[in-house]
Amino acid sequence: MKLDIQGHSGCDICIVTEDNELHIHKSTHDAGYVPRLVNQANKQIAASRTEYQHIRVPKIFEVVQSPTDATIKMEYIYSKNFVEYFESAGFEQIKYLIGAIKYFIDLEINASTMQTVPANILTDKMADVARKVANNIHLKDDAEAQELVRLSSEVMDAVGDMEMPVGTCHGDLTFSNILFNGNNYYLIDFLDSFIESPLLDIVKIRQDTAYMWSTLMYHKPFDKVRLSIISDKIDSAIDEYFTGKYEWYRRYYMPLQLMNFLRILQYGHDEKVIAYLKRVISGQLAVLNQSKN
Amino acid sequence: MMTLIVPIAANNAEYAHKMPQPFRCDDEGTMLCVKAITGLPKDVIKDIYFVILREHDERFMLSEMFSMQFRKHNLTNAHVTVLDQPTGSQTETVARAIELNGIEGVVFIKDADCYFKTDEILPQNGVAIYPLENLPIVDPQHKSYVAVDDMYYVTNIIEKRVVSHFFSAGGYCFEDAREFCRYYERLKDYSPLYLSHVIYLMLLDKKIFRPIQIDDYQDWTLTV
Repeated sequence: MKLDIQGHSGCDICIVTEDNELHIHKSTHDAGYVPRLVNQANKQIAASRTEYQHIRVPKIFEVVQSPTDATIKMEYIYSKNFVEYFESAGFEQIKYLIGAIKYFIDLEINASTMQTVPANILTDKMADVARKVANNIHLKDDAEAQELVRLSSEVMDAVGDMEMPVGTCHGDLTFSNILFNGNNYYLIDFLDSFIESPLLDIVKIRQDTAYMWSTLMYHKPFDKVRLSIISDKIDSAIDEYFTGKYEWYRRYYMPLQLMNFLRILQYGHDEKVIAYLKRVISGQLAVLNQSKN
Repeated sequence: MMTLIVPIAANNAEYAHKMPQPFRCDDEGTMLCVKAITGLPKDVIKDIYFVILREHDERFMLSEMFSMQFRKHNLTNAHVTVLDQPTGSQTETVARAIELNGIEGVVFIKDADCYFKTDEILPQNGVAIYPLENLPIVDPQHKSYVAVDDMYYVTNIIEKRVVSHFFSAGGYCFEDAREFCRYYERLKDYSPLYLSHVIYLMLLDKKIFRPIQIDDYQDWTLTV
């Protein structure tokens, strides 16, 4: 059997057989990345202590760390990626997945506390994005990108302090960080988030369900229509559910989704991806402008 | 009672000099697209619409051919709907036929390039299925597959990916023509769009589809 494994973080990932079992070793030899990888491991260890219905977290067996290198040794999960899963999932499996996502985020919300996120968290992050876009050789002479950043800065300035649950989140809850094994969904690649809020996990999952981000990174042939149908279904179910429940979701989802895409844009280097990001951001600004009026 | 629609409005570069296969005749002089519906129960069918392109009609004299076929087979309730422009998909062809003819109620859509026999079609959402193992020759890449659960509900339908030993045999029943058009409207900007996509979206929206059991399946794309 061919084992297909791929990462996007820049870490080395290999499959190792130990005691007749497959393990994953995720390593970095970049001293600057060591603390980040260790934080990821700690976040994953903490998440694996909680019992979630249908949601699983691969076990971490060991974290080996030195000033210049780090390796996480974790459980190998036999699984499908999101495209393979969606290409064969019946309607009941999609229903389970929607239920599992809602359940997982509700647990995160329950484990968090309502806090005030000061306005400057967002405006400082926006200033950082503006600096990075101005210094990005693929964007610094792009008048459209610069204008989108200027308009986005105006949006972020107007948001103010945000009341939202803070405490727990995955940090990068996209489809590409979910491994699908029957009706169990394994979460990988936990990340620190600039606001540790479950709202940021809704933003990340909707980065895929509303904007099909992860399919941009998928290079094998697949049924795009079927994937769009499924993504739309999951997206409307999530949006309807959280819109009906939480004022903080209704108020802050859209500005934070805009910030999410700006943070992807700031590192943009591929012409097609930059064009896609500018389209998305422009559309988000139009929605925000419409809701303001 | 239901309306039967046979969409044959696909265009293809080779049709510039070659008659599309469903318009050709078998050894007994029956057009294949007409033969395609002869295994269906006549007593539940109110009207039959063969949907064709004007370009094909003019090039191959199809209206005249159909007129003779309707007389030969005593199809007094059969009509030909001629579309001026090619459609982007079989789904669009059906939606256009529904709109042009003001069709309401239950519609049964039958592919023109295959035959099957069934004694009963209930006026409910359904997909005709046939087991792969009953075919002497199979081209699995050109079929869609249908998963059916133990309670006899359709749970999944997928293009060109073998998830079940049942494949879609080219017969689809929709209990409400207007509802079909509403789903088409939601998906019309996607390409390539198949009827299986419409059915899958309806399944996700908790619409119930039942499998329709058929016999004597013949796939003319392989044998003619």
